[in-house]
Amino acid sequence: MTAILKIENLHARLTGGREIVKGVSLVVNPGEVHAIMGPNGAGKSTLSSVLVGKAGYEVTAGSVTYLGRDLLALGAAERARAGVFLAFQYPVEIPGVNNMYFLRAALNAARRGRGEPELDAAQCLKAVKAKLKLLDIGDDLLKRSVNVGFSGGEKKRNEIFQMAMLEPKLAILDETDSGLDIDALRAVSNGVNRLRDPNRAIVMITHYQRLLDYIEPDFVHVLSEGRIVASGDKTLAAELELSGYAAFGKAA
Amino acid sequence: MCGVAIDPAMTALQDAFLTVAEAAREPAWLAQWRNRAMQGFIELSLPTRAEEAWRFTDLRPLITPRGLPAQAQAASADPFQLAAHRLPGEAHRIVLVNGRVAPDLSQIGELPHGVWLRSVSETINLRPDLIRAAFDVSDAFGAQSFAALNAAFFSDGFILAVEPGVVLRHPVEILHLGEAPDSQAYHLRNAILVGADSQASVVETYIGSGPGWTNAVTNIDLGGGAVLRHVKVQAEDAAAIHLAVTRARLAETAHYDSFSLITGARLSRQDIQVAMAGEGASLQINAAYLLRNDQEATIAPTVDHRARGGQTNELLKGVMADRAHGVFLGSVMVREGADDTDARQLNRNLMTSPTARVDTKPELTIHADEVKCSHGATVGDLDEAALFYLESRGIDPVAARTMLIEAFATEVLDVAALPSEIDAYTRRYLAAWLEGDSQ
Repeated sequence: MTAILKIENLHARLTGGREIVKGVSLVVNPGEVHAIMGPNGAGKSTLSSVLVGKAGYEVTAGSVTYLGRDLLALGAAERARAGVFLAFQYPVEIPGVNNMYFLRAALNAARRGRGEPELDAAQCLKAVKAKLKLLDIGDDLLKRSVNVGFSGGEKKRNEIFQMAMLEPKLAILDETDSGLDIDALRAVSNGVNRLRDPNRAIVMITHYQRLLDYIEPDFVHVLSEGRIVASGDKTLAAELELSGYAAFGKAA
Repeated sequence: MCGVAIDPAMTALQDAFLTVAEAAREPAWLAQWRNRAMQGFIELSLPTRAEEAWRFTDLRPLITPRGLPAQAQAASADPFQLAAHRLPGEAHRIVLVNGRVAPDLSQIGELPHGVWLRSVSETINLRPDLIRAAFDVSDAFGAQSFAALNAAFFSDGFILAVEPGVVLRHPVEILHLGEAPDSQAYHLRNAILVGADSQASVVETYIGSGPGWTNAVTNIDLGGGAVLRHVKVQAEDAAAIHLAVTRARLAETAHYDSFSLITGARLSRQDIQVAMAGEGASLQINAAYLLRNDQEATIAPTVDHRARGGQTNELLKGVMADRAHGVFLGSVMVREGADDTDARQLNRNLMTSPTARVDTKPELTIHADEVKCSHGATVGDLDEAALFYLESRGIDPVAARTMLIEAFATEVLDVAALPSEIDAYTRRYLAAWLEGDSQ
């Protein structure tokens, strides 16, 4: 079985800055859900940014292999078309870009990436409407500009909705629970759980254990000062909840 | 400064004027009027950068080794070439080629009773009263040298006159094609006179090839309660020059709705001078200008609130790529007694390249009480976070840029809320510009 994601001894930093990720190694196989937990400043957002190819970061050592390919050699859009998806912690508002228009561009990019024919506007609308039901989202959202005028919960739901549309092989959920009330958290989690698939891997990056009550991970990793200091099953998260991050600080 | 000696060129221009005047065989009053305009131009000469209103405008591309470009000769055009630029749906169409109405390409169709739509050259002979009314609307050659030069040299143009109480259902479509192979001038003089409680819409499109110079003056007079929608698409050749002055006078409760899309010409300038003369007149000026390479465009709306309760809304947005230069010179004046004026003026600019240039000068002068006025300008570049968000969804960087530029520019179209056929027509020219961006 080919791993979906294989991170080996990854070192990374903000361009020109000090090293933030200091030797992370991780293997994620199809069907698995991994949670990477850590306190502020542990390197969580640097790690996710490097994985999706955000500008302004540099890898100083190590490698990232995605389905056998060198992920770091690809641009952000190429990674997305190859099936890597990031659910943003802060989804970006884009005034003037209609949500439906944006979804069609993204969906057709993903389909091109998979070698599938592009969808016309009518076909796309049909596909979108089917998935909207899955996440219990009203279709008035389609008429608005991307994320403009959305509540915090709507923005996060929209991220998972896009994930459902784009059908990635690797989904990275960056602090998806932040800023959500309990109802929104439940709705988002239900959406993610429905997208669990034997051929798909999910990596959740989170500060709090709360999300893991709703989306149960197969593996939990503790990230501290740029390194994975502990790995285990979901019981590790519960342990972490009791003892706090400090207990794991200097392990490994 | 232009840095070009104008004196020998001026002599050549005067010679040219005499030739034109002799050949014109126009009524004596008009010949006299042209003559005065020529004298006016000689006194004014070309504007220089020492003048505030021309400080940002580089007129050098206009000056040929022999001075100002000479008047273009009449020419014909390929109807198939024009077909792509036609307004969809029914319209009263006038096609001009190199500054002259081409009757065989025009199709005015049936006009309602009380509507005059003809070329200037025909109107001079058939309805001199309209020509006088049209050209006396505002001072023809007092302040602006290019308007004076235009008055001296104009070759043709269109006259639309709508009698009071008439609604012109279909738009008037004016298509100007400039095809001169070298620097030649198209001096166009137009007038739109809309009587009290009448309604009309006019869509002007300027296209062509080669380095021709369009110098257009359009006088607009709106009677009480009249409504005019005026759309202009300037998509001239990248080597062309386009200077245009539109002057409008609005009587009480008249409404003038102006929309411009500017993507063409190496050097262009659009002056829109509006006198809010009657109580409760309302005005919308919306414009999008998208420039690349070494294009330079100035848009200069000047609004003069002279009566109570006037309303002005302006949204003008510029996109500057490469080394392009966009200039906004906006001025709103509220005179003494023009109380309860509500005027808003906003210029927003997007620079997509570090070598692009923007100058923006929104001005507001208020001499009345109880007014609501605002003005502002912004200059920014593409939102990096939005670009990354689009890329993270598989959209290529170039396509993502285009999407954001389009979103920025189309806000003006959304605000303008043009009738669907005109809206779709305008968006085609916008799309053509954006396509050029993604190449």
